[in-house]
Amino acid sequence: MGLLYAVRFVHGIGPQDQTYEVFPLDVGDDECVAAILDIDYSEWIAFGPGGNVNIFTNRTELGQGLKTVLTAIVTQGLEIQQGQLTVVQGDTDSCPDDGPTTGSSATKYVGWGYWIACEKIRADLVARASRSLRIPTRQLRYNNGGVSRKGQQEILRRAAELGRGEVVRLRVDPHATPSAGKQYIDLGIPNVNARKIVTGKLKFVGDIDMSGLLYAGWLSQPYHPKLTVLRRADLSAARAVPGIIFADVVGGRVAAIGERYNDVLKALASVKAEWSVPERSQILRLEEESRAGAELLEVKEDEGNVDAGLAASDVVLAETYTTQYTTQAPMETDTAVARLESGGTHATVWASSQYPYRAREIVAKFLRIPESNVHVVGMPVGGGFGGKTSNPVTMEAARLARYVESPVKLIYSRKDQFQLRGRYKAACVIDLTTGVSANGQMMARKIDIIHDMGYGTTNTYTIPHVLTKVYQTEWPFERAVSRGTSFVQTCFAVESHVDMVAARLGIDPLEFRRNNARFQAFVHLLDACAEMIGYYNYRPAPNSGIGMAIVNHGGSQLGAVAAEVKVNPRTGKVFVKRICGAFDIGTVINRNTATVGIRGAIIWGIGYALYEEITLDGHRTETADLMDYHIPRFSDIPPIEIVFLDNYQPGSPRGCGEMPVIPTIGAIANAVYDAVGVRFYSTPITPEKVKKALLSV
Amino acid sequence: MAKQTFQLNVNGKLYSVKAEPDEPLLWILRDDLKLTGSKFGCGVGICGACSVLIDGVERRSCCVQVTNVSQGQKIITIEGLGTLDNPSPLQKAFIDHTAFCCGFCTPGMIITATALLARNPNPSRQEIVEAMDNNLCRCGSHINIIEAIEALIDEREGGIEE
Repeated sequence: MGLLYAVRFVHGIGPQDQTYEVFPLDVGDDECVAAILDIDYSEWIAFGPGGNVNIFTNRTELGQGLKTVLTAIVTQGLEIQQGQLTVVQGDTDSCPDDGPTTGSSATKYVGWGYWIACEKIRADLVARASRSLRIPTRQLRYNNGGVSRKGQQEILRRAAELGRGEVVRLRVDPHATPSAGKQYIDLGIPNVNARKIVTGKLKFVGDIDMSGLLYAGWLSQPYHPKLTVLRRADLSAARAVPGIIFADVVGGRVAAIGERYNDVLKALASVKAEWSVPERSQILRLEEESRAGAELLEVKEDEGNVDAGLAASDVVLAETYTTQYTTQAPMETDTAVARLESGGTHATVWASSQYPYRAREIVAKFLRIPESNVHVVGMPVGGGFGGKTSNPVTMEAARLARYVESPVKLIYSRKDQFQLRGRYKAACVIDLTTGVSANGQMMARKIDIIHDMGYGTTNTYTIPHVLTKVYQTEWPFERAVSRGTSFVQTCFAVESHVDMVAARLGIDPLEFRRNNARFQAFVHLLDACAEMIGYYNYRPAPNSGIGMAIVNHGGSQLGAVAAEVKVNPRTGKVFVKRICGAFDIGTVINRNTATVGIRGAIIWGIGYALYEEITLDGHRTETADLMDYHIPRFSDIPPIEIVFLDNYQPGSPRGCGEMPVIPTIGAIANAVYDAVGVRFYSTPITPEKVKKALLSV
Repeated sequence: MAKQTFQLNVNGKLYSVKAEPDEPLLWILRDDLKLTGSKFGCGVGICGACSVLIDGVERRSCCVQVTNVSQGQKIITIEGLGTLDNPSPLQKAFIDHTAFCCGFCTPGMIITATALLARNPNPSRQEIVEAMDNNLCRCGSHINIIEAIEALIDEREGGIEE
């Protein structure tokens, strides 16, 4: 018997969503749980009889440090010790469904929501104690998981005693302002998984072990399954490999299942297969093909009259930028363990997932069993970055488990991760036209984004006339987000373009940004960056330069980045010498996890700007391994200096794991322009592109 | 290939395992010895998530066939460096400097850094970067990893941490 708070986050942006309701339910434990499972709740907070508190969230641990952030918030919000708190994440049998762990929203919504919920819970417990003890609430106070008289330490009632198995439903607005007098402090506790991580004891899904577990793998194929048909596969040699239990064509792909992973790899290597490939190359030659098939998807921004605004401008600049296909490339490849139970009417799936409930949905759909018969256990994710939200590997593992009547661990090879998974961040074509007055005020801006996923607006500058349209074309692969969403592509284009507009006017690009910034917070961020990088006293070495860029990610995470680069004109290699970033992300819950997350995001920006590219040849993905796909290494990474400001919407934490990726790219592109006077209109800015451009100057 | 018996010295313990001679050491460690700290990241020796020490030298266990490990060689995995209650000084420095995000590459990073510090107790920043450069991290914890390694050097030299 205890007391369980079922918290519902009322999502949405803006104060109109601020609501708070409590519905006491006077029913027994079992009924409570059943009732809650049927209701659309976000999080549970349970007080046990021994003073322990369990929280249940379906948001998973991706390396963003969510467990650490929630531990900091709930231990502080409920004034309890770390040892009293258990955080249960991503288990569909005990955590309610609150959507995927994406878009840097976990700290922003879930973390802050817990903080507000803790405040409501403290007040609710005092009210309950008041009724139970017949003492006025003003004489009572919340105290360490219970209620005491003001000025006294003795706990008169523990939380669990105030509920007796009751469920209290709370509606919590994750945007609400907490009451005064209780401010976050940066606890700076070490990552709560730290000891397990450094000693190799943190269990990822690949580390799951159980009796009878078999390994499974797919035959690698450079062609995406949606584009090609398996014509012929000779499996005789594969079936003869010792330890192989199963080798066959499953859903148009070749699978092998065996006792050891090495057996599976040997079996797959022995398969001779042929695929038929459609004649027409559906990709790439990005620009022509994209434009030819582009259909309007959405008008993102439409203010004023853009044509009139451009006509009234003194200077108009039109440019086109393009970006490349990239992929998440997590260090842990897609992996899942599936065990069918009760003759296949039930299943348990261990998943590396950003959304265990979606895994549950697709597994249930495939097995044609009710979702409630599928239990998905979310494991710590060895890097997600947007690539582990749809989780087809879970369904595939369940599918393969049916053939062998044993639990199956399906591991994607690194090649599968690049090729078979076929989940790439969109390459974009972005047309921009900006009109400015002679004195440097932005008047009008028109943007056409082709291939955008739908997130890529900017809202960083004050411009009276704006029209932003998003177009899409037929897309042979799974559309994917990847750390930074599609703000990445648009921000690279916009921030490069802004520098070119400033250059056309002969205005310093920092000055131009300061003068046109939409929010005063951007001016603070830009000034902080300028100071860190020494903007006003900068004396560039030959072929060196600095550049800046700003971003507004999701309406509340603001950032500015300054980069200094040195270009080797002989090799064309761009060397990033330094990055300085200023970020307005509200209250920082844990400086340790926030700092490493922001540095990581900046490092992603470096990779996107200079190295990373999935190369496609017709229907074939050429990129096959981590040698082909260069993710930033130690030797690529400059000193990174960061500072946190809290000017824009002071108070609430707003997340930061993706946003710094975005302005880093534009800042590097602008620094390259500052260094060598050549504008690069497409990412990545590779040595080949630089060499070629410098030769033609 | 027929299975053979191999004697392995791992983390100071002697094990006898039956395996095909071409089985990568990684899968022996993970499946037979249940030492799952060494991770599968690429299977071809590029990423370093499977790194172990063999006689003090960092090796990619996904590319070492068990038949090529001789009986006298001492294998140390991440589990052999320290425990939850008693992490090694480098493991402790990784905790103190939050030198990871998701933690998947971390065992390999710590193994490689341990090997570096064993052969060069006082590496320069450049030497650290060179030694670590073939261990890949996707979250972007590189700077924190360097800080963790350098903190250990400072400690050894009797300096103080920041």
